[in-house]
Amino acid sequence: MKKNLTRRPGGGNGLGYALLAPATVLLLVMSVYPLLNGFWLSMTNRHLLKPKQNDFVFLDNYITLFQDKEFFGTLAFTFAYTFCVVAISYVAGLALALALNRNVPGRGFFRAVFLIPWVIPPVVAIINWSYILNDQFGIINIILQSLGLIDKPILFLGDYALIRPTVVLVSAWKQMPFMMITLLAGLQSVPRELYEAAQIDGSGFWHTLFHVTLPMLRPVTFISTLLSFVWTFNSFENIWLLTSGGPNGYTFTLPILSYYTAFFRQKISYASTIASTMVVVMMILSVIYFRIQFRGEREPRLRKGRLKTDE
Amino acid sequence: MNDSRRVRRQNLMLFFILLIVAFLYSLPTLAMIGTAFKGPAQALSNNALFPLHPELTSFRTVLESDFLTAAANSMKVCLCVTVLCVVLAVLAGYSLSRFRGRVFSFYQMALLVVQMFPMMLLMLPLFLIFKELGLLDTHWSIILSYTCLNLPFSIWMIKGFFDTIPYDIEESALIDGCGRFQTLVRIVLPVSLPGVATVAIFTFLNAWNEFTYANTFIRSKELLTLTVHLQHYVSANQSSWAEMMAASTLGIIPSMVFLLCAQKYLVQGMTAGSVKG
Repeated sequence: MKKNLTRRPGGGNGLGYALLAPATVLLLVMSVYPLLNGFWLSMTNRHLLKPKQNDFVFLDNYITLFQDKEFFGTLAFTFAYTFCVVAISYVAGLALALALNRNVPGRGFFRAVFLIPWVIPPVVAIINWSYILNDQFGIINIILQSLGLIDKPILFLGDYALIRPTVVLVSAWKQMPFMMITLLAGLQSVPRELYEAAQIDGSGFWHTLFHVTLPMLRPVTFISTLLSFVWTFNSFENIWLLTSGGPNGYTFTLPILSYYTAFFRQKISYASTIASTMVVVMMILSVIYFRIQFRGEREPRLRKGRLKTDE
Repeated sequence: MNDSRRVRRQNLMLFFILLIVAFLYSLPTLAMIGTAFKGPAQALSNNALFPLHPELTSFRTVLESDFLTAAANSMKVCLCVTVLCVVLAVLAGYSLSRFRGRVFSFYQMALLVVQMFPMMLLMLPLFLIFKELGLLDTHWSIILSYTCLNLPFSIWMIKGFFDTIPYDIEESALIDGCGRFQTLVRIVLPVSLPGVATVAIFTFLNAWNEFTYANTFIRSKELLTLTVHLQHYVSANQSSWAEMMAASTLGIIPSMVFLLCAQKYLVQGMTAGSVKG
């Protein structure tokens, strides 16, 4: 279908290359070269306060990294954090998408409201969160106290037991709209007859969800969780702005550890080693995820091509 | 009949549940807007979400500070990035959509792969490169890096739009003696304006919201973008919540304008990458 629409124009590819050139030059200079440079940097011993020091040390940094307890602790938390954020935002996003896929009054309004966290600057979102989580003036503590549920304010951002769940929740809050919108788009492409058939067969809500809806959503689920996983694994701003990785490095994730190593411990090469290792970890995980998704799968994919999302 | 009434009742119940959920979900945003209108004294004494007697003093204080300089900086950077990104993405996207060959398919793969890399790996060497080139602490550093950050996704998305435009239209223009480049500008571009709008809005918002690069590359106070300025403002005025919230409220205006006026394009952009498969 697509091939008929966009036939290859006559003549050579010269114009094609010419049109690609400007973007390519910029990407080569500003993305590809720095990325390669980043890998190179990870094998040197550069230090921000010692500008003269710039030797090739090959894998020394990587050897140090594999004996670094802080790195493995951070890696473990990064995984847990990413997994929880993706899982929570997926379940919440799916629930809202299912609700908004029905003929509820005020659908457009709700969709807009639930999109807000996605469009506002992370800086603002985090300022707002630290405000409502504040122990003196935060509305959450005020409500809980006036309901008599707690005697004294909860220190969401100071308590070791609470800080990790808190950063997970805040990040999931920020990630949820993406899940909701993509799943809603996916739901709108599920043929109505399928639901009607399920209903005639006397299938209940949960049965329909697990045997009709979720299988139909599989391709959308795969892509949106993969993208969310990559974004969350690489995300820096949310936690950095909320806790700066504290208390005492307790909420360090790998991007934060890398940033902190570079700009607070001045070891920019070692920071690059951490970042390079993240690439390897993520590549491996993506390949595994692809394998799981496509192993022996012979079902026809959902309709290919753009899906309409607006009513 | 009975059934549809049941469905309607269910939907009404769902409406009220959604109302509660939406309220709780928007609590951070509501608290921000409410406090912004409280004024410095009320912000410390009045626990209500919204004040009964709204004041504009906090907004005035914010507007008299460096806020407007930062907003102007952000606006300048974002407009440059948007224009650069749209122009480059249109050219490259058209090329990828209309030409076939190994180079073009490899290019598309590369665009996807580049997006997987963590921004830290890009930012650390960029920091050193900008330092050597003397671009650190200039707007050029963030304009160039934002453009590159947004370019792969923009090309990818605009290519998708071009793919839906039949080649026949161009062919007839070509036969009529239009040059290829002219065909792109006069025939293809007007038809694909929704795609261009999506890319432009996304790029603008991403650049407007970005914090990490700006925070790392820019040092001078008078060059700060809005997000970094807000962050500094918060660290400097730890207890003046009303002003912080007023500044934050002003900072989300562009986002809210896009959300209200161009939601269709936002949603299109969000789903373009994931639903297309």
